[in-house]
Amino acid sequence: MGANLIANYGEAVAMVLFVIGFMNLLLQKNLIKKIIGLNIMDSAVYLFLAEKGYINGRTVPIVVNGIQDVETYINPIPSGLVLTGIVVSVSVSALMLSLTIRLYKRYQTLDLDEISIRLRKEGL
Amino acid sequence: MDFVQNFPFFSIILSMFSGIISSVLPKRAAKWVNTVMIILVGIFSFILLFYMIGRGNSYTYMMGHFPAPWGNEIRVGVLEAGMALFFCIIMILSLFGGRKKLDEELEESKHSLYYILADLMLSSLLALVYTNDLFTAYVFVEINTIAACGLIMIRRNGRTIEAAVRYMIMSLLGSGMLLMGICMLYDLTGHLLMSNIHEQVSALAVSGEYHVPLLVTIALMSVGLAIKSALFPFHAWLPDAYGYSTVSSAAILSSLVSKGYIFLLIKIIYRVIGIDVFDGSRIIDMLFAFGLMGMIFGSLSAIKENDVRRMIAYSSVAQIGYIYMGIGMGTQAGMEASVFHILTHAATKSLLFIAAIGLTDVSGGSRKFIDLTGAAYRNRWAGVAFAVGSLSMVGVPLFSGFISKLLFAQAAVQNHVKMLPALIVLGISTVLNAIYFMKTVIRIYTPVEGTGSGEGVTFKNMKIYVVTLVCFIILNVFLGVSSQPVVNLIGQGLAMFS
Amino acid sequence: MQYMILSVFFPVLAGVYLLIKKERGNRKYLLVSTGAFLVITAILVVLALCLGREGMFTLFSLTERLPILFKIDEISVVFSVLAVLIFLCAGFFSFEYMKQEKWEKKYYGFYLIILGVLLALCFAGNLITFYLFFELLTLSSFPLVLHERSKEAVMSGLKYLFYSLCGAYMALFGLYFVERYGNTLTFSAGGVISDQAVSNHMGVLLLVAFLMIMGFSVKAGMFPMHAWLPSAHPVAPAPASAVLSAVIVKAGVLAIVRVVYFVFGASFLRGSWVQTVWLTLSLFTVFMGSLLAYREPVLKKRLAYSTVSQISYILFGLAVMEREAFTGSMLHVLAHGLIKAALFLCAGAIIFKTGKTRVEELRGIGKEMPVLMICYTFVSLGLIGIPPTGGFISKWYLAKGALTSAIPVFYWLGPVILLVSALLTAGYLLPVTIQGFFPGEDYDYGALQKKEPSFFMIFPVLILTILSVVIGLLPEGVIGYLSQIIEKIV
Repeated sequence: MGANLIANYGEAVAMVLFVIGFMNLLLQKNLIKKIIGLNIMDSAVYLFLAEKGYINGRTVPIVVNGIQDVETYINPIPSGLVLTGIVVSVSVSALMLSLTIRLYKRYQTLDLDEISIRLRKEGL
Repeated sequence: MDFVQNFPFFSIILSMFSGIISSVLPKRAAKWVNTVMIILVGIFSFILLFYMIGRGNSYTYMMGHFPAPWGNEIRVGVLEAGMALFFCIIMILSLFGGRKKLDEELEESKHSLYYILADLMLSSLLALVYTNDLFTAYVFVEINTIAACGLIMIRRNGRTIEAAVRYMIMSLLGSGMLLMGICMLYDLTGHLLMSNIHEQVSALAVSGEYHVPLLVTIALMSVGLAIKSALFPFHAWLPDAYGYSTVSSAAILSSLVSKGYIFLLIKIIYRVIGIDVFDGSRIIDMLFAFGLMGMIFGSLSAIKENDVRRMIAYSSVAQIGYIYMGIGMGTQAGMEASVFHILTHAATKSLLFIAAIGLTDVSGGSRKFIDLTGAAYRNRWAGVAFAVGSLSMVGVPLFSGFISKLLFAQAAVQNHVKMLPALIVLGISTVLNAIYFMKTVIRIYTPVEGTGSGEGVTFKNMKIYVVTLVCFIILNVFLGVSSQPVVNLIGQGLAMFS
Repeated sequence: MQYMILSVFFPVLAGVYLLIKKERGNRKYLLVSTGAFLVITAILVVLALCLGREGMFTLFSLTERLPILFKIDEISVVFSVLAVLIFLCAGFFSFEYMKQEKWEKKYYGFYLIILGVLLALCFAGNLITFYLFFELLTLSSFPLVLHERSKEAVMSGLKYLFYSLCGAYMALFGLYFVERYGNTLTFSAGGVISDQAVSNHMGVLLLVAFLMIMGFSVKAGMFPMHAWLPSAHPVAPAPASAVLSAVIVKAGVLAIVRVVYFVFGASFLRGSWVQTVWLTLSLFTVFMGSLLAYREPVLKKRLAYSTVSQISYILFGLAVMEREAFTGSMLHVLAHGLIKAALFLCAGAIIFKTGKTRVEELRGIGKEMPVLMICYTFVSLGLIGIPPTGGFISKWYLAKGALTSAIPVFYWLGPVILLVSALLTAGYLLPVTIQGFFPGEDYDYGALQKKEPSFFMIFPVLILTILSVVIGLLPEGVIGYLSQIIEKIV
């Protein structure tokens, strides 16, 4: 168990980060902090993927001096997944930020609970 | 290869590109592109369904030039084609039913945006239905979320933005967990294609290796999708999102978006994890228990609600509970019942939302029960439609809801452990459903003194609306009266999964 | 065969037609068309009973194993004839009575729909069909309870709906099991449960049978699920109360007959704990209903409590599961139907003419409307069970059946309670007559007015009274007819 943990310290860190991000997204009241939590969570997943795809002592799968032996390169698929994931998370973050701006313009606060209370007062 | 086999790919691409094209088109054109596209996709799916019934087994369709373990794939069976057809029908009916309201509520500049979002929504749903690749599924889950968020907040007031933010937060938590699950599964098996993962997972289950990580993975994916489809303890975002958005959005969200995720979950259970492995894990009991709780607490919240749209929204929580209960039984019959209930609920809930908007419109726009008194006399069509929807949800024979309940009960009788809780909760929930739906029906049929019923809405000034309602009612009665072929198809489709 | 379906669909379609037709304020047209529809339905039913006796008719299939199926047997005949008779009489009565009520069109519309649904219940050939129309009966009779739209009516209506749905769900619960363990869902005399299931799953099946009996007995108002009945029946307009109390509660009885004798089979339940509990509950209800009726000051409510008690006579007879008791039950179905309809119509006529609802206000009523009160007296005697009325014959058979059965304790307890309850029945029905005809020394004869209701109201009451007496005088025909099927099922 302990040995496994040390050997896979990257994944372990990723998991810790994932939980931190998740909890921030879930529990923070401030919308900006929530979005930061979201980004931590997503980055943790990418870290996990990258860590999994990396094989010690090999190099990036970019063809420089002609195609070399398979053993030379690391697994390229996780990197591809990470890239796709980043695109997704960027767009989602952008959407969240734009929503936040709108809410802030309307209610001058970033606290979601307070906004709810005010909405109820407005009687909407 | 038959030409028909290209249809799933065409459907996805068509819906996606019509969204892209619509962004430069004026409002009317965008509307037409959207309508024509949905009808086309519907026709494609219809032909595909018949082709699949004739073919008798599923096929995979290679996307690009790389064969199985590396490339991306689409996989089609009877169930996928049927689902796609059904989604198209509900989508177009929901859009038609809410069109008048949409024209009133949206700013002029937003109209084409709305249709773009609807196009994107359909394309992501189709992709979720057809894809054979988990990571593709994840990407489309996110596209689906973004489109849904847009649909919620397109009608701009404080409430919808808040609802959209809450929806986004919960959805992102869900998709975060789903993504983590997919990554861990990739880590465990080295594959992203469902069929390949399935082989590896079976091997792992036999050898007993990585038992805990596998369990964690299943839990992450199930809970992630459960959050996104608003299973009971994760439903806090739902009433606001369904209750305040424009009516087409509410109908689409409740009947399609959450169903897309549930369908993905069913696919994951059958095609990725394998029903046996899933059955053996504790996760299934958890889904079962949450489903049961949802059935009761959703209905209780609906009873307390004083706003008709939110009441219908809470009823969705209960109905989604039914679906998860069926999944949680872990039997073929339970799964069939769940899939059938997906259809039932989609057909009924969008009917209810659209009928409710007709009722609130003739009650001065108010959604409080007290103002709805006698609304059925002011808008007869909406009144009848609402009554039909309510009866179906309560589970009166001749309507689709009854068949769902019958299937659930038949499935429950086969499972000795889960039989009693399932049947008891089914009973309690039926009665609770009856309380709030019948309360509403009585309310809208209570005549108000003084006001004549003559000046109400007539057929002439809302043809499309009435036709939509009639279509929905026919769909409901069809599912309720001749359910056997549909159930057979579902059974056939589920058999093709494995 | 087609007549059967026609007699079910015709009234339903006619009712829907009345409901969706534009209101033109033309009352005469409404009455004539309703009357015509009722008569046509009656003719169709007679045709169906005469010509459509053989075979079954499958309308369509819900699922492969669940066809919507109709067939007619002797039990169907008894119940459908009763239903049509009472609907005709009460309908005729309504023409006058409903003058004072609002929303008449809606009333007649639902009235016809209920008749159609009831006929469908009588002709239902399997459990799922029965369940379907049982639910529809609840929903279509619901508007009659709500008719007044007062707060009280809405609350009783909701109570009615709530109880009925609970009951129907319990029945549905049983249906799931019967579908699994039965050879078929089609009603067949003697039961359909497979022998293998009986030996393997005895406990479960008994529980299921019990739940189904309890579920269906909600409609029949058996304790502990009776509370809706005394509040729901009286709030409806009087002819609707008559129909509710005389016929619609019988749907519950019919349901139990079907479940016990045509699904599970009497031999399966005889001697089991289900029978014991059922007997206890029904006897308790007989006693309790009479007692509550005795203490109730409002006439219509008193009659509703009386229904609770009298229906449990029928259920007791069914629970004994002996031939003579069964005969008694069936006779009591007819007798109680006719009598209770007549009683409610009397109460309605009194309300219509005088507006009086409480029993103590009815002093001297017999002087004001003598013909009506003579009818009232005759049917009251019938309900108490004084020969030679219908009630006497049925109770005679019930008591005889109980005495000849070999059920410990109940073979003597049953007749005793029936007797006590008959005394109570006399106690709550006859004071109206006595006070009505003999108001006492201090009654102000000067203020007496003739208030005899019109022909429209008297005639149906008269018909019902005569029929209830005829049944008592000539019961052999009915008994002979019933014995054919009783041979098979008990």
